Parts: sequence; C-alpha cells; structure tokens
Amino acid sequence: MSLAELEYSGRIARLTLNRAEARNALSVELLKDLRARTEELAGRSDVSVVVMTGAGKSFCAGMDLKAVLGNHELALSLLTSLAELTHALRMLPQVLVARVNGAAIGGGCGLTTVCDFAITHADSKMGFPEVDLGVCPAVVAPWLVRRLGAGRARMVLLRGGLMTGREAFELGLVSGVVESLSGLDAAVDELAGRLAQGGPDALRATKGLLNELDGSADLALLRRAAALSADVLRTPDAQERLRAKMGG
Amino acid sequence: MIRVELNGAVASVILDRPEKRNALTPEMLASLISGVSQVRATAARVIVLRGEGSVFCAGFDLTLCQGHPDGSVMRSLLSGLSEAIEALRSQPRPVVIAAHGAAVAGGCALLGAGDVVVTNDEARLGYPVVRLGVSPAVSAPFLRLRTGDGAARERLLDPSVISGKEAARIGLVSKSVATAGEVAALAMEEARSMAAKPPTAIAATRGLIEEIEGARDRAWRALGVSLSLTGKDEERRLLPAVWETGRGR
Repeated sequence: MSLAELEYSGRIARLTLNRAEARNALSVELLKDLRARTEELAGRSDVSVVVMTGAGKSFCAGMDLKAVLGNHELALSLLTSLAELTHALRMLPQVLVARVNGAAIGGGCGLTTVCDFAITHADSKMGFPEVDLGVCPAVVAPWLVRRLGAGRARMVLLRGGLMTGREAFELGLVSGVVESLSGLDAAVDELAGRLAQGGPDALRATKGLLNELDGSADLALLRRAAALSADVLRTPDAQERLRAKMGG
Repeated sequence: MIRVELNGAVASVILDRPEKRNALTPEMLASLISGVSQVRATAARVIVLRGEGSVFCAGFDLTLCQGHPDGSVMRSLLSGLSEAIEALRSQPRPVVIAAHGAAVAGGCALLGAGDVVVTNDEARLGYPVVRLGVSPAVSAPFLRLRTGDGAARERLLDPSVISGKEAARIGLVSKSVATAGEVAALAMEEARSMAAKPPTAIAATRGLIEEIEGARDRAWRALGVSLSLTGKDEERRLLPAVWETGRGR
C-alpha cells in the first residue's frame, strides 16, 4: 500500500497523505511516495485541480525526525527530499488546494503554503514551531514569504508556536476557513469545482506566470535551505530538544 | 467614450459608455491613452479615473470578439489594456481610481494603474476569465504588488468575484466605503489632498516606488502570456459562451 494515495474524479484529483497512525508525519517513505504521485500528476493533462489532504485526524504533523536524529547524512537527505517535493508540487500544471483537515505543523504547514489555495476549519492547529525546538524552518521559509509577504513571514517563523485555523485565516496563511470540520468538504468541493471550470490552458499559463513572478522555480534556493536546516539540526541544542520531545 | 474634465488641480479621465457598463473597446483604450497624454499639457497635479453610470467598468466588450475566432480583437484589447496601464503608471501624476459598483476582468486590471483605489463594500471585483479560456496574466505584475503573491494567486486562478469589503481586506483596493454614491466624492477628496502637496516630492516618491517595484519589464512578459492563448483552441471553444448565453463576463 502506498503512503500517498491518488484518486481521480473528473478533472479533480485527490492526493492523500496516508500515514494516519503517525499523524502523516513526513518520513523518507512518505516523501518518496508523494514525489511519485506528483510525477504521475505532472503527466495528467486531463486533471485541472488537485486537492491535497491527510488521512485521519491530522493533515500532517511535520517532518518525521526520529529516524534521522544523530545522523547528519540521513537528515540532509530527508530535508532535501522535502525541498524537492515542494518544488515539484509547485511546478505542477494543476491548481492545488490544501484541504487542511487537522494539524498542519512545520513541514506539514509548509505543504499547505506550496498550494495555491488552502482551506481549513476554525479549530485546526497550524504553524511553524521549529525554532522552539532549536530547528530552522528553512525549507518552508521561501514558500511562506511568497504566501504572506516577507514582513508577516518573518514574524511567524521567528515567533514559532502554533495558531488556530481561524488565526491562520486572519493572517492570510489559508485562503478560507469554515466553522467546523463538518463543513470542510462542502467548502473544498465548491472551490475545487469552481476552479475546475477554468480553461486548462488558461489556468496553466496563469499559474506558470505567477510562479515566474514570485521566483517559485528557484530549486537551488530550496536545496541550500535544506542544507542549512540540516546544519542547524545537528547542533547540540536541537538534538537535545528533539530527544526530550521524543521522550528519549 | 472617454471624457477628460479639468477641475482645478485635478484632471478626471472618465470611462463614458454607461449603457454598456463602460465595457472596454480597443478604441476606448486608445482614447484613454490619448486622454492621459492630454492631461500632460495641463496644470493638473493628480488624475482621477472613474466610470460614468452604475459601475466603474465591466471589463472588455467581449461581444466584439464574435466573428473573430483568430483572436485579433482579443489581442487588440489585451495590448490596449496593457498600454493604458503603462500610460497611467509612467506619467508623473498620482492616479486615484474611483471603482464603484463593479471592476471586473479588464476593469479590475485597470486598478493596477492606481496609486489609490476607492471602491464600495458591495462592489464586485475580480477576474472571472479563465473559464472563458482567457488568462488574466496581464494583471498579475500589478495585482501582486498590491496584495502580495499569495492573494494574487487566489484572485487570478479563482473565477469568482469578491466584494469591495474583501478587496480592501486583501489590499486590492486602498479603501472601501459604505455606498457606491460615496466613491467618487472620496476619490476626489483623496486627489485634492495629494494635489495640495509639493509636486516634486510626490513625483520623486512615486518614481522611486515604481523603480523598487520593477513591474515594467514584467508587464510585457505578462502580456505575452495572455496573448499566447488568443485565437487558440481553448479560447475558441469557451469564449463564445459570452454571446451565446449572455453570461460569463
């Protein structure tokens, strides 16, 4: 069974992070499967909209650092995989909508900012608590700057911590918020259906220009960011805090 | 279809085709450009751009594209729009836009030429054109300067229109007032206030901001993206919905 499921319904595809038992934390395997599904989508000119979501209660709890703690090479490889995945997602010809069904934290919150739209519910937990753990949220930083503007991105990344879905909407981190999880599907389906009415060539051309204008194609920046994040991860401060958090 | 009026230090450039909700034609866009250069010869210090009638501007008059499946009219409209925005941005006077009622598609793109944009809470703004096989790319370099990249992405890919109140929240307009009737008066007030300030300082500040933004080169690239779709299969298939159903604009 794949950790990333892809289903098609007309011009709309749904990409599901399918590792509910680990709150969809991004492991080497999950990132690999997500990347494979992304490659598959890149060739689907019959699909206009991709809805990304998480199985179970969480959207994505962030990077699964447990397996790479204390191993710099593995950590760098994991972070580089995330960097390359975010780039591949952004370069997809389809319009991306994040259906943020629950917690979207760190790298998981980063995935929502790579999407063109994100919809969540008022009580979801979102944010970038990396600095609280002595970690640098480098890979997500370029995407957050593009999403929020540099001023607000600076505040969010340096302040760390989490926010509610409502606060995320007020900040501009997500494009829409519904009162409760029960209303999420209706809002996402409405948006995806509306987007899917657009001419595929017009959508692709417009998204391509937006990617060009905001520098989204800069893969070298993302790879440098992954290296920076891996460097900070091996500092004693980060290692101690992460070990304490993981209970040993 | 374009009028220029001088009131003291404020020149008003007026879209004057109220029976068609000021829908833009290639000729109107050319007159808009010549209207702006006409202002150059006057003592006006600020330009107000507004629309006559119930709305500011409903966008391109797409019925003119009927019978031109090669995209020639659409190309004139897109190029004229881009040149009109450039004409307003490259001259030295601040531009205040009174966008009451509706600023849709090409009409919303015109807002990219404004230093200050006023609308009303119930007004409808947005770019509902991808469903016609038309790319609003031509608006992108200016919209993103106002709203940031995140909101610009949403507005250009989502064919729905938003309210004036929401437009003020995301920065697409500078200010939204309660009723459409107040928009022109507030725009005039903003214009008079800027006209009373030393023009050298205003022009220098505006010029520097323009330089920092660096949108000019990108405007030509963006126009190229919109033009790349004109006359192509998708536009030929989707655009006729405008005159066949009377909807879609």
